[in-house]
Amino acid sequence: MRRGLAFLLLLGGCAGQQTPLAPGGEQAASLFTLFGLMMAVTSVFYVLVLGFLGWAAWRARGHWSRGAAPVVEPDDVGLSRSLVVWAALIIAGLFLLVGGSFVAERALASARAREALQVSVTGHQWWWRIQYRDPATGAVVETANELHLPVGRTARIELGAADVIHSFWVPNLSGKLDMIPGRANSVDITPRQLGWFRGQCAEFCGAQHAHMAFSVKVDTPAEFAAWLAAQARPAATPADAAAARGQRVVVGGQCAMCHVIRGTAAGGRAGPDLTHIGSRRTLAAGTLVNTRGGMQGWIAHPQAIKPGTMMPPVALDPADADAVSRYLESLK
Amino acid sequence: MLMCIVDVSLEARNEPAMISRAGSRWGLVLIALSLAGCGKEARTLTADLPQTPPHGRDDPRIPKYQNNAYQIAQGGRYFGWYGCGDCHAAGASGVLDLGDGRWRHGSSFDQVYRVIAHGHPGELAHYGDRIPTEQLWQVTAYVRNLPQVPTDKRRRQDHDAQGEPTGGTWSGAKR
Repeated sequence: MRRGLAFLLLLGGCAGQQTPLAPGGEQAASLFTLFGLMMAVTSVFYVLVLGFLGWAAWRARGHWSRGAAPVVEPDDVGLSRSLVVWAALIIAGLFLLVGGSFVAERALASARAREALQVSVTGHQWWWRIQYRDPATGAVVETANELHLPVGRTARIELGAADVIHSFWVPNLSGKLDMIPGRANSVDITPRQLGWFRGQCAEFCGAQHAHMAFSVKVDTPAEFAAWLAAQARPAATPADAAAARGQRVVVGGQCAMCHVIRGTAAGGRAGPDLTHIGSRRTLAAGTLVNTRGGMQGWIAHPQAIKPGTMMPPVALDPADADAVSRYLESLK
Repeated sequence: MLMCIVDVSLEARNEPAMISRAGSRWGLVLIALSLAGCGKEARTLTADLPQTPPHGRDDPRIPKYQNNAYQIAQGGRYFGWYGCGDCHAAGASGVLDLGDGRWRHGSSFDQVYRVIAHGHPGELAHYGDRIPTEQLWQVTAYVRNLPQVPTDKRRRQDHDAQGEPTGGTWSGAKR
C-alpha cells in the first residue's frame, strides 16, 4: 500500500512546470517521442534478457549438485541458430534507435529555416539577462529572469555567458544547451501550450548554481505584444511620497551602481534591469516570491538568502527600506 | 599542473621497484603541496561580511581579504563593473597607474581603502557612499595586489573579463 503510494507520488513529478515528460512545445514533443521510443526498445530487451536468464536458471536447476565435473556439451544447432536470431534482434533494435534519433534531430533542425523571434539570453553568476528587439523602434528591450514567448511562433534564442559556462534548459519546451563564454549558441523553441513554465541552469556554475532559475510565460500573440510594449517603456514615475522617497534612495545610493532603471539616473549594467521589476514573478532568479517583504529581505540580507551572490547587503533605515520596496513594487 | 604531477608518478611505476616507490612518494608529496595551494581559494559564503571600514593597519579582518585569491578576484570584478578601469587600466601612467608599487597616500590596507572610498577628486569623491563596504574591502585587496601581477597575467585577466559589464555599458557576451 505504502509502496504504491510512493510510486504514485513519483508519477506526480511527471506533471508540472519543470519536466520533460509533459511537453508544451514542438521541440520538447519530438524529444519526448524519442524518449518513449528508447524506453520501449530498451524495455523489450530488458524483459527478454531477464526472461532468458530466468529460463536458463530454471533449466540448470538439476545440475547444481556439488562436486560434479564440468561437462563439454556437444554442438547444439538450435542454440547457434537462436544466437544468430538474437544478434539480428539487437541490430534491429539499434537501427530503430538510430532511425528514431535521426527523425528527432530532423524535427529539431526544421525550425532553423523558419522566420523567428530573436531573443538573446546571457548567463551571469547567478541570473539571466534577457533581451528582445522592440519591433517598433528596433531598440533593445532588456529584462531579467523572466522569459515571455508568443505561442505557436518559433523563438530563436541566442545564448551567451558573461563569466563561466551556464546551461539553458526549459524542460517543458526544449532540450538543454550550454552557454559558453566566447561562443555563440542558439536554440529554437516553438511553444504550443499557454502558461507558466520553469527554466533552470543545467551546468554547475558556482556556489549558487541551484538558485539560478527563471520563469517562462507562454502568451497569446496579442498578450505578448502588449507585454513587450510595456517592457519597452521607461519606468513609471513615483505615484506617492513614499515611492518618490524610494526612488531617491535607489537612484542616489548603492543600487544604481549595478542596476539600471530606464528613465532615471540609475544606469549600472552589472546587475539585472529593474525598470519593470514589479511586474516579475520572482526575485533573485527564482529564489524568492516577488513580494514587498521578499524585496526588503533580499536587499537587507542577500548573503543569508543566497550565500555568495554578487548582490551585497545594503543597510537602509526602516523607513528607507519600506520606501524602496514600495517604489520597486510600483515599477510594473 | 595536477595532471602532470599524476603523470610523473604513474610513469615512475614502470621503473625498477626502488625508484618507483621513491617516485610515487614524491608524486604524493607534490600533490599534497599543490592541494595546499587551494587554501588561498577558500571562500566564506556567510552573511557575516564587514559592515565597517578597516580600523587601522592591524585590523584582524585584513588577512582574510589580502591573502585570499577569491576575494582579490572578486575585487577585480567589481573594479571592472564600477568602471575603475576607465582611468586605471593596465596601460595607465603616472598617478593613475596602480601597478607601479608607489603608494602616494600610504600603502597599508586602511590607507588604500580610505583613498578609494573618499580620496578621489571632484565628482568621483563619493565612492564610499555608493559602493557597499564589503565590496570596498575586496576592491582594496585587488588594488593592493596589482603590483604583484605581471603585465601578461593582467592582460589575460582583462581578456577573461571581456564579457562582463563595465561601468555603464554592457556590449553583450563576447563571441
